[in-house]
Amino acid sequence: MAILEINHVSKFFGGLAAISDVSFSVEEGSIMGLIGPNGAGKTTLFNCITGYYPPSKGEIFFNGRRLNGLDPDKVCMLGMVRTWQKVRPLAKLSVVDNVMVGALAHTSSLRIARAWAMDQLKVVGMEHRADFIAGGLPIGERKKLEVARALATRPKLLLLDEVMGGLNPAESDEIIQLILDIKKHGLTQMVIEHDMKAIMRISDRIVVLTSGEKLMEGTPQEVVSNPDVISAYLGESHA
Amino acid sequence: MAVFMQSLISGILIGGVYALIGIGLTLIFGVMRVINFAHGDILMVGMYLTYLAFTVLGIDPFVSVLITFPLMFLFGGFLQRVFINRVLKAVAQNQILLTIGLGLIMSNTVMLIFTSDYKLITTSYSSSTLKVGGGVSVSTPLLISFLITTAITAVLYWFLLKTDTGQAIRATAQDRDAAQLMGINVKRMSIIAFGLGSALAGTAGALISPTYYIFPQVGAVFTLKAFVITVLGGMGSVVGAMLGGILIGVTESLSAVYISSGWKDVVVFVLFLLVLLFKPSGLMGKSRT
Amino acid sequence: MPKTILKAAAGLIVLALLMAIPKYVESPYALHMMILLFLSVSMGQSWNILGGFAGQYSVGHAAYFGVGAYTTMMLMQAKQIPPWIGVWVGMVLVVAVALAIGSICFRLRGPYFVLASIAVAEILRLSAINLTTLTNGAEGILVTELPAFKIGERVVTDFSTKVPFYYIGLFLALLTIGITYSVQHSKLGYFFQAIREDQDAAHSLGISISLYKNIALGISAVLTSLAGAFYGIYVGFVDPPTVLGLDVSVQIMLICIIGGMGTLWGPVLGALVLVPMSEALRSNMVTDLLVRVGLVNADSKVGLFLKENLAHAHVLLYGILVVLVILFMPDGLMGFVKKLARRRKQEAV
Repeated sequence: MAILEINHVSKFFGGLAAISDVSFSVEEGSIMGLIGPNGAGKTTLFNCITGYYPPSKGEIFFNGRRLNGLDPDKVCMLGMVRTWQKVRPLAKLSVVDNVMVGALAHTSSLRIARAWAMDQLKVVGMEHRADFIAGGLPIGERKKLEVARALATRPKLLLLDEVMGGLNPAESDEIIQLILDIKKHGLTQMVIEHDMKAIMRISDRIVVLTSGEKLMEGTPQEVVSNPDVISAYLGESHA
Repeated sequence: MAVFMQSLISGILIGGVYALIGIGLTLIFGVMRVINFAHGDILMVGMYLTYLAFTVLGIDPFVSVLITFPLMFLFGGFLQRVFINRVLKAVAQNQILLTIGLGLIMSNTVMLIFTSDYKLITTSYSSSTLKVGGGVSVSTPLLISFLITTAITAVLYWFLLKTDTGQAIRATAQDRDAAQLMGINVKRMSIIAFGLGSALAGTAGALISPTYYIFPQVGAVFTLKAFVITVLGGMGSVVGAMLGGILIGVTESLSAVYISSGWKDVVVFVLFLLVLLFKPSGLMGKSRT
Repeated sequence: MPKTILKAAAGLIVLALLMAIPKYVESPYALHMMILLFLSVSMGQSWNILGGFAGQYSVGHAAYFGVGAYTTMMLMQAKQIPPWIGVWVGMVLVVAVALAIGSICFRLRGPYFVLASIAVAEILRLSAINLTTLTNGAEGILVTELPAFKIGERVVTDFSTKVPFYYIGLFLALLTIGITYSVQHSKLGYFFQAIREDQDAAHSLGISISLYKNIALGISAVLTSLAGAFYGIYVGFVDPPTVLGLDVSVQIMLICIIGGMGTLWGPVLGALVLVPMSEALRSNMVTDLLVRVGLVNADSKVGLFLKENLAHAHVLLYGILVVLVILFMPDGLMGFVKKLARRRKQEAV
């Protein structure tokens, strides 16, 4: 069953289309990869889905519910949460307090929220960092904190925006393992990633965007063997 | 009709001075993204400089602009170098607090020196008027100050558009990082911008001193008006600040006549809130959607 | 746990001392100082909830302070309504004002919010000057006689001394500290701080930004209006500049900024620093001290100048303090103290 459906979504900024007529759906329990060169509209699509700006055209359905025009907080309460490409830790708060903010979406008890937050920190392997001030963490741990905080809101669909960006290979491997672990718990994920190898390893299906349009959709094998995708990427790396 | 024309004209004339205040603020904001809450107090310092020049040296307020402008330029440059420069990367709120603090220091230091008594500069032309015709007359000092304002604005415009320094300032305002990469001395541009902004505010102070009471707390009103003007015109836009200044001058002058002089500032602030509510990018600004 | 017990014990002792002071201290001046201190604590603490925790720097808190003060005084003067009833009317009015302000200002971020908050306070100040039939305009409202506070037939107090004001002030300070504590230790505190740290991130985590900003403003405004009402009945006089002026807004913020924003004890620390300092200047204590130490001759030009002017210089002091705090300890005294403590701990290790 599709948990997320994107029907002919377009987003215009002052007449320019950042996304035009993109459609696809995400199956429950799967990992959907979203790739494309810089400026292809991946993050814009995330912003549309999570309510930061409503789509100019088209419709977005989450669990059968129409999302267009719903604020980000409402979207989160429905069970869809995103992380940020440029990490956004609550810098002056401790690591566990950061995650508690997410946990408090569904409880008013600080005790329950703290326990739940600690669980999420364990999932990302950061329980020993609980009392550190979030602003002082190295980049790798900030990225994990983003994931833990998002998980704390008890999502049904997790949108990860380049969680491996800026990480070294060892750190990236940890994140890949983390994403696969999360999948085992039945959580659906949609992942934007630049690292082709990583995205091939984790994704069940992949959507390729270029210049705001959907170039193709398919399994990782179909994507790597598609000449259009290769030229789109080669075009970028040669530019 | 004569009453309307009368208040429209005096509104435009006073609006010219407001424009000068607004341009100063918008220049500082444009280059440094700092909202200068001491702007009115800088203007107040300009008024007292003019007062000193008049009482001690006997220099006419309008002539004293020649002294006020460079002195206030140095004063502004000093403020930027010593204080503002340290908070350029801080959150906006801290920048605001710092300038509020600087403003308090200025107004209260002036109070210590000159006491809080109201001072007046009385010139031969302070209350003289020129008949324009149709029952409409124009206050001479307002007219002179408007002419000087226009001249200064024209020179400033030429400076920003045609000179190398002016272009460097505009480049810094457009994109600080890119300007730095292109080899522009951003720090120096900031000092010049703050100096110019202060000089413009100080000059405005000099220009209104023949028609206004001079007292240490006079700045607060002008700080607020400067914000209204720049927000109306769109933050960072020089042309916008000019239009905003005139608009506020006319609004004030008309509401003083048709509502009451006690409520004219309220009308201005309500207008301000309405703009914030419906077009926060300002009347001249591009909307962001 | 012994640390918590120690803390609680220390708190109780301080509280007992504060309760006992009026029994042993008769000097009205000393009581006056304490009352000012309580007032400053509650003003700073009220601002702290919105500015310190939720990160919305209002430079227009005089609006709530003034509406609270004016409503109580107006009702007392015009309709003989006792202040302990007028206060409730003031609170209702303030909530209405706050919601109006919130709906306008909270759509705006950063500097725009600051500007809008000032504009609203200025509109109220100018209105108080112009609505002479209601507010008595620039002359202000003077109420010299407070009705006696009775429970049934028993007169609890007739407000003839400073003692009842002392206890009201103490209650107000404790109330605001208590409310801040419970905000800090609840979902609200977490959400407020999340909004302060990163509005977009907070939004993505299910926090309704406008709802929680308005809650913060509402709590802050109501508490500020209480402080305003208390100021009105204590001083017995309100006029536009003293309760609605920009200075008032700045002073409210200052208490918090100097002490340390977003901390429970910051505003208390700020009040402890600011109140004695500005009182010392206002009452010419500093000049007297300089004369007594022999640094300044009382009859010399400098001495006379200081005597005449230093009394007005407390606002200058505010300005200098703000500049110093922003440049050298942006986290306020609390932040400074914490940093020192941390450094000492590290050295000990």
